[in-house]
Amino acid sequence: MTIPERRNTVERLDRPSAYYIGKNKKRRHNDESEEQKDPMEGLRHATTLYVGNLSFYTTEEQIHELFSKCGEVKRLVMGLDRYNKTPCGFCFVEYYTHQDALDCLKYVGGTKLDERIIRTDLDPGFEEGRQYGRGKSGGQVRDEYREEYDPGRGGYGRAYAEEQRRREDEEYGPGR
Amino acid sequence: MADYERRNHGPRGGRKRRYRDDDDYDRRQRRRYEEPLVVKVRRQLLTIAESAARRPEDDALNVAKSVAENYEDEELRDSFIEISLDLVLEQPMKIPFIATTILVANTIKSELVTDVLGRTAERLQSNVNTGAWREVKLLLRFLGCLQCIFEGDGIFAILEELFSRAVDLQTASSEDLIGLELVKIILYTIPYVMASPATGFESQALSLLEKTDIIASTPHALVDLVNPFGPDTDRSSSVASVISLLQSQLQGESTRGWGLACLPRPWNTVRDGDEPKRLQDGPKHTFPRITIPSPVRNGSRAIFPEVYLSVYGDQDIETVPPTSDITSSLLRDALVDTLNIMDFNRIATAKFLIDVDCYFTPNIFVKRATPFDRLRDVPGDRSTWKPEDVAVDAVFSQLFQLPSPEHKLVYYHSVLTECCKIAPAAIAPSLGRAIRFLYRSLDTIDLDLSHRFLDWFTHHLSNFGFTWKWSEWIEDLELPAVHPRMAFISGALDKEIRLSFAQRIRGTLPDPYQDLISEGKEKDNPDFKYMLDSTPYATEGREIMQLVRRKAADEEIQPLIAAIEEHASNLGVENPILPSTDAFVTSICYVGSKSLSHVLSCIERNKERLLAIGPKSPSARRQVITSVMEYWVDQPGIGINIIDKLLNYTIITPLSVVEWALIDKLGGGALLAQTHIFEMISATVGKVTNRLRQIVAARTQPGLYEPQLSVLDETLTREKNDMRALFQVIENSVVSITGGSNDELMERGDGSGNLPEDEIIRQWGKRWLRVFRRKAAVEEAYINDAMANATPVGTNAPTPPPVPIEENAAAAAVGDGDLDVADADADETASIS
Repeated sequence: MTIPERRNTVERLDRPSAYYIGKNKKRRHNDESEEQKDPMEGLRHATTLYVGNLSFYTTEEQIHELFSKCGEVKRLVMGLDRYNKTPCGFCFVEYYTHQDALDCLKYVGGTKLDERIIRTDLDPGFEEGRQYGRGKSGGQVRDEYREEYDPGRGGYGRAYAEEQRRREDEEYGPGR
Repeated sequence: MADYERRNHGPRGGRKRRYRDDDDYDRRQRRRYEEPLVVKVRRQLLTIAESAARRPEDDALNVAKSVAENYEDEELRDSFIEISLDLVLEQPMKIPFIATTILVANTIKSELVTDVLGRTAERLQSNVNTGAWREVKLLLRFLGCLQCIFEGDGIFAILEELFSRAVDLQTASSEDLIGLELVKIILYTIPYVMASPATGFESQALSLLEKTDIIASTPHALVDLVNPFGPDTDRSSSVASVISLLQSQLQGESTRGWGLACLPRPWNTVRDGDEPKRLQDGPKHTFPRITIPSPVRNGSRAIFPEVYLSVYGDQDIETVPPTSDITSSLLRDALVDTLNIMDFNRIATAKFLIDVDCYFTPNIFVKRATPFDRLRDVPGDRSTWKPEDVAVDAVFSQLFQLPSPEHKLVYYHSVLTECCKIAPAAIAPSLGRAIRFLYRSLDTIDLDLSHRFLDWFTHHLSNFGFTWKWSEWIEDLELPAVHPRMAFISGALDKEIRLSFAQRIRGTLPDPYQDLISEGKEKDNPDFKYMLDSTPYATEGREIMQLVRRKAADEEIQPLIAAIEEHASNLGVENPILPSTDAFVTSICYVGSKSLSHVLSCIERNKERLLAIGPKSPSARRQVITSVMEYWVDQPGIGINIIDKLLNYTIITPLSVVEWALIDKLGGGALLAQTHIFEMISATVGKVTNRLRQIVAARTQPGLYEPQLSVLDETLTREKNDMRALFQVIENSVVSITGGSNDELMERGDGSGNLPEDEIIRQWGKRWLRVFRRKAAVEEAYINDAMANATPVGTNAPTPPPVPIEENAAAAAVGDGDLDVADADADETASIS
């Protein structure tokens, strides 16, 4: 019998996010017959982090400067707009060790880079294709419908801005 | 895991619905249920003493009553005991409050306390066995607070036994550190015993103190190694070892009736209804039996002597307890343990630090966030200690811990950031005073620490809009570039730009600083020097660049390389491979200047040619470094980064980096003042020592036999010699500066070597030497310690008893893994990088 891992007296910051766990749950719902798997299994030795909420203008060098404080960075993959191939506000940072990745979750996730609070999440590993945004217009999905103006991420959400423009055209006539 | 239980709503449905308003109402209705007792107790226990608005004694009483009166509820009992001990080990500032809960429980149901003691003994024993001395200290502190419920001498028997082990170790070796650690545990336990409800133990405490004096008060040989200030500076003597301080503070307390003003005594103020409750009258228990091995061993954390550093020690008004007061040690110890244990949640840590006044006697502090200037108005008999200064001071003590703190430096940065986010008005001014102290200390503080300061300072500012009162350092801009303060300012601006961009940082600076940010720093892609026809080999250089840009095959590049070399030979250049290497590497830098991945893929494509340069001559290897660093002269951070990757590719060697900086470029030594040079050499040395530690780990893993043992041992010996050679090169070059045998240093100015800057440069040399001598000593010690228990070379595997086939296969697999490590130098990129 293995001794269950001791629970800490306060929550740990080096756990995968609700997003990852939620994604796993959904998959299990669709395939009930599948053997119940520990959602953490794919992350037990993960050395990669997904990094989100970056400004489109943040460079690899800036990311490297901050993230190497947690250990040597093995690889850095910038998230790109599927069509323009320009940065679209996320990246993957791969370390050499699992511990460095956990430390990064604990010490860097939720702090500022380029004056924005960045988000980090443990990731099972980069695969070709994942560097591109999955939004309709090529960027990240969250930048499609965003109603707030974010100068670091291309202004309003693209679908939202498009919709606004269409509505204005209807109201005031096109090509104002 | 209960946390991930699956809810029973249909596929997909659950998540979206949560956001619908009407449903939200339903949910709240459903949530209204009676909280099970175990959940309530858990919550009360976990948050005990956290709020200044509640009396922790009341919570202690409630928890103790709930559990003791429901003793037969196994889940409740079990959860109470486990959480109590978890808190002892994770949130040490709560120990007196947990102990109070136990003392109350003892008066109601002493069987519960018997269970608690049993479980405490288990944890204590296992931590003693593994040498986890911090955990031992905390569990003993807990038991020390319970001293009044033990028969006879209680905790003193085990303290005496620990002392006798310490004596054994100290007698065996004057360099022993584990013995010192044991004495430290004894000394940190005594005050909690003396503040506990137990009475009549003064003579036991005093007799222990008399015995520990000789060990605690003798300065350890290694204490100079960890002094944050250089050995021949004024500040150096003001830093005392933690253990000697504590010894004398305790002796002082013993003559003053063990006042121990800072320690809370929640056990004295427990009230049941209106009745005060006497806790020392409960049934007695025998002190748990713990076996202390002889000799004791050390666990995974390396032990070094510790010194007491405060960044608030030289102010005209006391904002932290002085080292003459035992409060300084007791607060520091509890805060540092909290900080180092709780690295898994920096936000919770920051909260605990800010709440420090909840966990100690409240009136030893002024009110939170009292401005420094207002402290002058505090009446003479009242404390002027600021809780935020005490908390922040503890974080700095770890950030500036030599040779290195328990966690990565960035952890301590992140805690300070969180403190500042939670209580900006209280914390920011405290940080400001700390920064000013450190800035004033720049010429005396250890060089490694001045770089930690630089790194923290810039990282911190990057989290708070890069705002700093630069105007107060304007006068220092008149200082020579090699002055430590000027070097700090230039280094800080460079680091800020690395985290941001030049124009942004320019906008945060007053006018006089503008000249420090060169135009080159604003250029994303530095110019390609071969664009100027006046540059030698300009035509060939441009052609090579074009070829690199369009990913031409190596055969196309070769004729141009040959052309430069021939051209150079005709000009009488002694080493024609240098100009050709320069053109090639500069082209790669230029073509790859768009981003790190661009330059990496460029290096990758031209790997073969780059790898071939190194073996041709050491000066060619160094030319590679020169070309990179000259191309990125305005943004050395990027240059260092590329050098680091070139090391991983083994295109250059660690030795070539050190020789490049400390021989080729050393000049009169002014280079030693440049922060990026120190960063580059530290990173390179770090790479070498990390690799060596990996090899040591492979060599010392248990269950290793011949022939792998010999293979690994040879690798270790070889790499160890390489490391020593590297340190020796640093030593020899820097000694030439400090000893005045460096020709260029002597020939500057009037040749006297007595220019004002010459003395500053010699000081830089001394500080460099101290850092790298310490690094060398620490690595040697690490290897020796690890090898002390390694299987000796020549040990053959025991004849295996008959085992099932699968296990055999597993054993063979382990053997294969070992060989991989031994062969690592054949595949250096894989392991060094």
